[in-house]
Amino acid sequence: MQSKRGLSALLAIALTVSFANYSTHAWSQAEDKSAQDEGKADAKATSNIKSAPSDEGQLATVNNAKIPAYAKIYIAPMLGGFENYIIAGLRSKKVPLTVVVDRSKAEYEISGVSESEKAGWAKMLFLGSQQSNEQASIKVSDLKSGAIIFGYSVHKGNSARGRQSAGEACAKHLKQVVID
Amino acid sequence: MSHRKSAVCILLACILIAIFGAQAKDAKNNAPSEKIPSGAKMFIGPIKDGFDTFLKDAIGKKKVPVELVASRDQADYEITGTAETQKAGAAKKIILGNWHSREEASITVSNIKSGEVVWAYSVHEEASTHGKRSSAEACAKHLKEAMESK
Repeated sequence: MQSKRGLSALLAIALTVSFANYSTHAWSQAEDKSAQDEGKADAKATSNIKSAPSDEGQLATVNNAKIPAYAKIYIAPMLGGFENYIIAGLRSKKVPLTVVVDRSKAEYEISGVSESEKAGWAKMLFLGSQQSNEQASIKVSDLKSGAIIFGYSVHKGNSARGRQSAGEACAKHLKQVVID
Repeated sequence: MSHRKSAVCILLACILIAIFGAQAKDAKNNAPSEKIPSGAKMFIGPIKDGFDTFLKDAIGKKKVPVELVASRDQADYEITGTAETQKAGAAKKIILGNWHSREEASITVSNIKSGEVVWAYSVHEEASTHGKRSSAEACAKHLKEAMESK
């Protein structure tokens, strides 16, 4: 009688464990599915950006790749210290990434170029604008695989806040490929 | 009695599974929750056009609760950054009637031990009244706010 009870208790535990495993598996599958759905939504957004008039910038992702939230990212030095503006942009746009100053500790790397052209006398005289012309282009690469997973370029003919605006534009669009 | 024992076993098993499941989920990357403590030792690295000097002065003026050190080895945090000044040209003075300079600066505070960036800020002033001093004070003011708000 006691052995029967013991067996039934073991059976119940086994059932519970298998049920828990199944539910965890189902949960993770549901999460994956929702992530995929989000990816599709983001891909749609990406395609919208591509088709939109490219006054501000161009965005490209490779195979809809995503960066996990709070992944460690290193920003390589850029001309004119533009990397500092990107870091400030990541903070102001609340992009969930951890910026590190040591490349060996990072999983991803941002590199790129930037150019700033101040308003000349003709622009001031004819357009009455003293705002600068900003251009920047960045790419994000996976340091393990070496694959480039994201690229973005921005051009602002009349940048209200100079390189700060360009840095924030890069950060804002980078946020689209980060899984929050 | 044995029914109770088996029920307790099942309950325990369920609880353990729930706990380990939750821990496994939390094992992913977590949000960095580091804040700059008051009185932290901070080193300001050389910044273009001597902006670091203006920044040191502004940190003192705005009473930012940090201790500035001269050597990087003694510091817990490091400030790095870039700054640019463009003096008003003839066109700006004549056409726009503006003598003030255009200032841009961006600074980053990183933890020297962990190598993580804990705070960053950028400032842009199209017509800065006091030049680099204004942008340095803006950086110091926002650093103080960040330290006090967290």
